[in-house]
Amino acid sequence: MWVKLAFKLFSREFRRGELTIIFAAIALAVLTVFSLSSITERIGLNITQKSSDFIAADRRLSSNHAIDTQVLSKANEFGLETAKLLYFDSMLFANDELVLGAVKATTQEYPLRGKITIKDALTAEPYEVTTGPTEGSIWLSEGLFYTLNVEVGDKVELGAGIFNISKVLVKEPDAPFFSLSGNKRVLLNYNDIEKTQAIQPGSRIFHRYLYKGEEQQLTDYYAWLKPLLKSNQEWQGIKDRQSPLGNNLDKAERFLLLAGLFGIMLAAVAMAVSAKRYCERQYDPVAMMKTLGGSRRIIRNIFLLHLSLVTVFSIAVGLMVGYVLQTIGADYLISVMGAELPNAGVKPWLLSSFIGLICALMFSLKPLLDLFDIPPLRVLRRNLGDTLAISRVHIALSLLTIFALMWLFSGEIITTLILFVSTLFVIAILFGISRLLFAAGRSLGLRPGSSWSLAIATLQKRANANAIQLISFALAIKLMLFLVVLKSDIIDDWQQQVPEDAPNMFIINVAENEIAPLETFFIDKNIPHEDFYPVFRGRVDALNGEAFARKTSKQEGEEKDEEAKEGKRREPNLTWLSTLPDDNEIIEGEWFADNIAESEQIEVSVVDHWRDSLDLELGDVITILVNEQVIEAKVTSFRKVNWATLKPNFVMILSTNMAGKVPVMYFSAAQIQEQHTKDVSQLLQRYPTISMIDIKARIEQAQSIIAQVSIAIGFVLSIVLISGALVLISQVQASLAERMQEVVILRTLGAKGRLIKLATLYEFILLGAIAGLVAAIVSDVTLFVIQQQLFNVDGRLHFYIWLLGPLSGAVFVSAIGYFMVARTMRQNTQGLLRKLS
Amino acid sequence: MSVLSQVKDAQVKDQSNTSLDSHSVNPTGDLLETLNIIQVSGLTKSVNTLEGSLTILSDINFSVKSGESVAIVGASGSGKSTLLSLLAGLDVASQGDVQLDGQALSTLDEEDRAQLRAEKIGFVFQSFMLVQSLTALENVMLPAELAGDHDARAQAITLLDKVGLSHRIEHYPSQLSGGEQQRVAIARAFIGSPKILFADEPSANLDSKNGHLIETLLFDLNKQNGTTLVLVTHDEHLAKQCQRIIHIEGGQLEKISVGETTSENTGKNVNVKEETSHVG
Repeated sequence: MWVKLAFKLFSREFRRGELTIIFAAIALAVLTVFSLSSITERIGLNITQKSSDFIAADRRLSSNHAIDTQVLSKANEFGLETAKLLYFDSMLFANDELVLGAVKATTQEYPLRGKITIKDALTAEPYEVTTGPTEGSIWLSEGLFYTLNVEVGDKVELGAGIFNISKVLVKEPDAPFFSLSGNKRVLLNYNDIEKTQAIQPGSRIFHRYLYKGEEQQLTDYYAWLKPLLKSNQEWQGIKDRQSPLGNNLDKAERFLLLAGLFGIMLAAVAMAVSAKRYCERQYDPVAMMKTLGGSRRIIRNIFLLHLSLVTVFSIAVGLMVGYVLQTIGADYLISVMGAELPNAGVKPWLLSSFIGLICALMFSLKPLLDLFDIPPLRVLRRNLGDTLAISRVHIALSLLTIFALMWLFSGEIITTLILFVSTLFVIAILFGISRLLFAAGRSLGLRPGSSWSLAIATLQKRANANAIQLISFALAIKLMLFLVVLKSDIIDDWQQQVPEDAPNMFIINVAENEIAPLETFFIDKNIPHEDFYPVFRGRVDALNGEAFARKTSKQEGEEKDEEAKEGKRREPNLTWLSTLPDDNEIIEGEWFADNIAESEQIEVSVVDHWRDSLDLELGDVITILVNEQVIEAKVTSFRKVNWATLKPNFVMILSTNMAGKVPVMYFSAAQIQEQHTKDVSQLLQRYPTISMIDIKARIEQAQSIIAQVSIAIGFVLSIVLISGALVLISQVQASLAERMQEVVILRTLGAKGRLIKLATLYEFILLGAIAGLVAAIVSDVTLFVIQQQLFNVDGRLHFYIWLLGPLSGAVFVSAIGYFMVARTMRQNTQGLLRKLS
Repeated sequence: MSVLSQVKDAQVKDQSNTSLDSHSVNPTGDLLETLNIIQVSGLTKSVNTLEGSLTILSDINFSVKSGESVAIVGASGSGKSTLLSLLAGLDVASQGDVQLDGQALSTLDEEDRAQLRAEKIGFVFQSFMLVQSLTALENVMLPAELAGDHDARAQAITLLDKVGLSHRIEHYPSQLSGGEQQRVAIARAFIGSPKILFADEPSANLDSKNGHLIETLLFDLNKQNGTTLVLVTHDEHLAKQCQRIIHIEGGQLEKISVGETTSENTGKNVNVKEETSHVG
């Protein structure tokens, strides 16, 4: 049967290397998709998990009034896990010391996500637990131990209750973002609230319900809850558009996505070229088999089996190598960053196998169909069927497949369209440029018989084929340069946002008279810190005298309405400043004049997304309510703010003539190291109204993301490099027979081996240098556009790649190209003739 | 001459005599047609070019008897390879027909023609046309395997032995010289005992020594197997070794002459003369 023959032919073709490039291209596409989707999925899950840790849940419902208990019982019906929290301040008393503590009472289920870090004694090693204190016991933060002069095991009075101090509270997953007095935290069992008798009518309390469950369950539950939500209740998730984490992750995903697309595009080009070449090389055997009586059915079956086998093998190898690579990468991340990476599930396996299958099918289909159509007459008319080799259908089908793959992998039609169309455009330009360059080579007037003139003559002779090769090389070099530059730009950008000496503690509630002693303290202890900003809370109430409620009700679209409501409802922190902060940029209007202090008119600079959601224009007058006080401020500028910097930022900055009009507290940020903990506790004892918010965890996470993404980018770069090399190899392989023929002719005509070798080397150097130059120009211009459009960072030209492009192109192309044809060069004329026959 | 060759030769003579007798009785009769393994009638081949229709072969008529050896000769571009492709069913005629062993090729589709070739035809080409990824033995077995015959190994080894390559059966084409490759191709042509062997310039790519060896092999095996041989060649010396020579010029059958071997077979002389007069 044909099966035996098919297997025999397959094993021989495989061993002869005829299928190697197809195999490698599919495997590469599969491993690229697998590793990238696994790593991004795992990093994504890790980020989501960590972000969930920050709120100790997947979602939470917050309110300063009691929440209907039906809300919680209904959540259980939706299959969600829940926990209840109550925040209040109460006096702690021990050893004749009295101090106001920030109490958080939790049910036993808390935390639903993340862990609480505690110590058994002040000097003991910290460890993590997943439940809060039991009834009758209490956990205090380290600062309270010093203030109250107590040890673990002592008793402490909280309100009317007496509790046993059982642990030192080091860290709660959600504490840094809520704690009003960071060093005076108390964790109490929810059932002990009554014992304290601290909750009285009029007490300042804060309720919070926590939820944990599958995304769908949470969505369904929210759909039920939404109509019941009151104005003082807030539903919060882990996604925050302005969070530095969200921004960084978003950028990371976009970058990896872009890079992955390039890898796949290159692998696809290599696959298309090598599939076409493989099929062309089978024209003679197929014609022969048909002549010898092989039916179309048998021939079809034989080659379809070949395609199936190479597909299955390459997908299997791609998955295996991809799995090993992503495991190594993940292990490295875990060991270096201490990051826990959850398993990615089956999605990467399915997605990568599917892409491998599509690659194999779509890039081979047309060449295979052509192969089946090869007439037996080719055994007599040797060029019969050659016209099939230039198939517009194959090109169209390949392009369509590349587009579909890009879309499938990215899930973003716009990005895919931009990249695809621009690449086509670039190809067209490259084709024109390459033809011009090759034509220009004619007028160089080099000495006949020299290696250079031979190289140029060879380039000109195969102008069309070389133009296609040049496009492939340029595309590969372009993508590599593109990634190198983008990687350094983005990583630099991120590292600038979260530098090593970034502040890790926000200092709030600082009174004006406390600024001087705090600054002295920071200088004495050599603690880096930011300036002190005056801060007050205010609500935007009206625009040009018209109350906001009426204006926004006219707005169309729920989302916009929601955003507007958010703007009105929130009481953001406001400040006044004389100079524009470093990470802010005026995008419309003018910053306050130097002499603004002399003016009566208060001016305000508003952040860009508030301009959009509140429909503000320059010259508008907004009414801001600060407590009962009304402030009228004229909008004189709009700002773009880099929220990723983890530095203090404000949605509205008022002019300095606001000073003295409203009571303010001051706000700053500092980088406080572990060794300063005790000093800081003592400082806060002296100034009990000052609070510190620990943002260390967020900074660590941002730095961890940068490290993870850097590794992933390095990995993607290597994949793109290998893909580029594959494209190059497949292209050179396709021209190998023609090169052999040339070598034979040149040798027969008496050309010396050295001349031929140098000519070939120069040909590749020229080809690589031209491709590199074109690639450098094109990638720099594309980068300029993409950085601005896609990554929202300032585009800049990188002239060093205009040199790096031709150089790296010449080295890369000549090294691989020459290596590929070196064997041909070494063979004697007789051997080459035999191969050609 | 070996005993086997002598026996085979006697068989050929018997067949030729039978042919002569039948022809003498009824030159256009049914019996004659059954003995003509190839019957060509009004064969015309035209192709469409940018300049319009181009006739490559025009109204060709002749017949070849079973066991006969016929050379097709002509200048380059005269249409002899086109004629071979039509005779072997590799291409289809624009007009006229070829009957191969009683089957009209015009009535067969591509798959049926492939089946016919598998069962009745062997080929030897100028450029050897071996499958590079198969060994010498596997190349010889290829036609049998394509036809679903899996017991061809013994026959393939015997044939390779006959062409003097029993020591190189596991070698790949790239490891063989040109002459050796053509000998493999000849062994392949005889696997499955085809009735007709078509050879296209079988020694053109070889040096004179190897060329001569190949020619001898071809004719010896042809005789041993009682195969009908249709040979396209430029080589007059080779053509003369055939019993008849069909001369093609400008796409038309110019004449059919007698080869040097016809002295062994008077019957064929008569036949050739009649056909020549028909053409004239």
